[in-house]
Amino acid sequence: MDIFANLALGLGTALSPYNLLYCFLGVFLGTIIGVIPGIGVLAAISMLFPITFHLEPTAALIMLAGIWYGTTYGGSTASILLNIPGSPSSAVTCLDGYPMARQGRGGVALLMTTLASFGGASIGIVVLTSFSPVIAKYAIYISSAEYFALMLLGLVAAATITNGSAIKGLAMVVLGLLLATVGMDSQSGAQRFTFGNLELMDGLSIVALAMGLFGVSEIVASVRRIHPGDVDPKSATWAAMKPTRDDVRRSWVPLFRGAGIGSFFGAMPGTGPSLAAFMSYAVEHRMSRTPERFGKGAIEGVVGPESANNAADQTAFIPTLSLGIPGSPTMALMLGALMIHGINPGPNLISEQPGLFWGLVMSFWIGNLLLLILNVPLIGLWVRLLMVPYRMMYPAILMFICIGAYSVRYSPFDVFTVLGFGMLGYAMRVFSLPPAPLLLGFVLGPLVETHFRRAMIMARGDAMYFLERPFTATVLALTVAVVVWSIWAGLRRRARDKSGLLDQ
Amino acid sequence: MRLPATTAMALILSAGIAHASDFPSGNVTIIVPYSPGGSTDLVSRQLAVDLAEIWGVSVIVENRPGAGSMVGTTALSQADPDGRTLLVNTAAASTAPAIQSLPFDAETDVTPIKLLGQSAYVMVAGSGVESDTMSEFLEEAAASPKFFATAGVGSSSHFAAELFLQQAGVEGDIIHFSGGGDANTNLMGGHADIYVSNTASVIPYVRNEQVKALGVLGPQRDALLPDLEASGELGIEGININAWLGMFGPGGMDPDLVARIDADVSTAMQSDGFQALLENNFIVGGESSPEEFAAQYLEEMQLWRDLAEQRGIEAN
Repeated sequence: MDIFANLALGLGTALSPYNLLYCFLGVFLGTIIGVIPGIGVLAAISMLFPITFHLEPTAALIMLAGIWYGTTYGGSTASILLNIPGSPSSAVTCLDGYPMARQGRGGVALLMTTLASFGGASIGIVVLTSFSPVIAKYAIYISSAEYFALMLLGLVAAATITNGSAIKGLAMVVLGLLLATVGMDSQSGAQRFTFGNLELMDGLSIVALAMGLFGVSEIVASVRRIHPGDVDPKSATWAAMKPTRDDVRRSWVPLFRGAGIGSFFGAMPGTGPSLAAFMSYAVEHRMSRTPERFGKGAIEGVVGPESANNAADQTAFIPTLSLGIPGSPTMALMLGALMIHGINPGPNLISEQPGLFWGLVMSFWIGNLLLLILNVPLIGLWVRLLMVPYRMMYPAILMFICIGAYSVRYSPFDVFTVLGFGMLGYAMRVFSLPPAPLLLGFVLGPLVETHFRRAMIMARGDAMYFLERPFTATVLALTVAVVVWSIWAGLRRRARDKSGLLDQ
Repeated sequence: MRLPATTAMALILSAGIAHASDFPSGNVTIIVPYSPGGSTDLVSRQLAVDLAEIWGVSVIVENRPGAGSMVGTTALSQADPDGRTLLVNTAAASTAPAIQSLPFDAETDVTPIKLLGQSAYVMVAGSGVESDTMSEFLEEAAASPKFFATAGVGSSSHFAAELFLQQAGVEGDIIHFSGGGDANTNLMGGHADIYVSNTASVIPYVRNEQVKALGVLGPQRDALLPDLEASGELGIEGININAWLGMFGPGGMDPDLVARIDADVSTAMQSDGFQALLENNFIVGGESSPEEFAAQYLEEMQLWRDLAEQRGIEAN
């Protein structure tokens, strides 16, 4: 296979004026959708999906993909300046991005995020291009036992990353897991906690849960707190964006690490940019020699996850395009766009539609370059979007949230779900319970359970099956190590606090 | 705004009755009870294009996935029976009610309108199976029990697998996956062994040589897939079912209206696009009358209810 001929073909396709226009349109829309909190990428792509019927399949896919990764760029802007994640995968960016903005370093955070996004995406594209066939081949051999172990590790790591108590984090993961059991049991079809309500048969809506927990509760909390002057227009000037030498020194390793984590989780079916961002944050926090800076404006906590989620955005196309398995509802829509045009996704896609596959891959480069331009020199425009007076912003965002929640499955019930989780989110805020582990538990809950039960069926009921598989056993051991480590770290911190008190 | 009493009266009266002659009085919605991009979605979108031309109104495809197609079907059962809300579903329409307790009566609250196409149930095997034919497989499965993948609890692939296990007297474990694509992929990876489903959801993978077709379920070989052994010729009796795609309306539709829609859909099915879609997926276009389709629907639902009882498949 001549990779250069393929890349040249792709570049030729992606640079045709028609495709270029739709690439720009995609990333531009994506950035707007990302910046404005409340409208998710899924809602946006579903709304624009019908337009793609009238486009060439390549252009359609280029545009939808542009919206997809463009949102991740834009999403961090609201996270940093408002502490409201513009998109779910940039929720982690709030943790350290917002404190940076509060310290007047919002501009630095914005610039570094964009650079990290670009770096992560570039590495993701390289992985997509070179390892696509290999990773796809391996992915189908990963069995339920391995998925279960990996996800368990993800959950435990996420629960213990919170700066507050690890117990609270774990409690929220468990709450998330419990909420995820609502609906039809995947293995027996039994209805759990549905109270005979058909709307609950498919479980609580992830979109509604996330929007309520993060969006509504943030708005309720901010109504009294945030004043129009809160977004510092100066954060978007060149001077405010100049990172210190220390920032750069701290950033480049997390960038590469994040890109690696993101590339891995993006390619795995069932996981995605949000989990990648969480994992990257957990890893940076753990690896840091100064973990106490996290949550208070540590640049590593911004760069790592942003690099990870953008890398994952790109590698998410590996299972989608090479196996025809969408890792997320958004990817399913992309596949839908292909099938509408009579293109069957699957391992033969790359050989049968080289123009489409390589054109799409090359459009990622172009799209990311466009995003770099949109997000660095034009950042002022997006910041201004956030400076619209709050009395006008709040109702608009709330309306978008409701439309977003409603439009996923045209269900008014989901709008009430948003309301319910908005109240829960506010209550959790009051008691300083972290919402992110809850979300992760909720997202991974059904997967963890399904994979565990499938593995148990395959083992015909023998739990030792997990320990007999070397990879699974290693990951499970690692999970235990993380738990032990956080208990030990907690005890040590407590001992240090005590001796500190004695010194005084 | 005040309406004259007579106008208001006329509006109320006309709203209650839907006549075949004035159909369609506005845009028509076709509910697809699955996510966008699947085979049912594809067929429905093609149909929507052709029907829009015939009826001269917009025909909108609305995806209402969930609960093994029953979320969309519930929405249908609650719509007015004026022909402006329709639904396209697979044989899941008759399997899902066998194990789920539903907020509507699957026998009376939906009206079967048109059988769009039928295909054989094809049995495919993944990398964990050595046999190349169904007869070899029966021996292999007798020696070591196999895992049967399904596209979900209560899906037609679930019931087809259960029916095969029962009639063939074979031991096997059922593993549920989250859809046909997921099931096929797990076969490739060797995480499950066998998947029994309609042609549209297995043929693409057979063509790519990712899974191998062992045979078809039924008394004799399928005319479109003559190379595949039929379960009937191996002495497995009592399997006489086909996978299908059909159009439904809400319960209590006027028979004249059903006949009108049946005729128009039959015309739409003759379009080149629709015919190509059928051919590519080894589906035979449906020709039975609405009455025959309704009878088939009820008969299969009873078959699956009985099977669910005998095999102890229950949701609650």
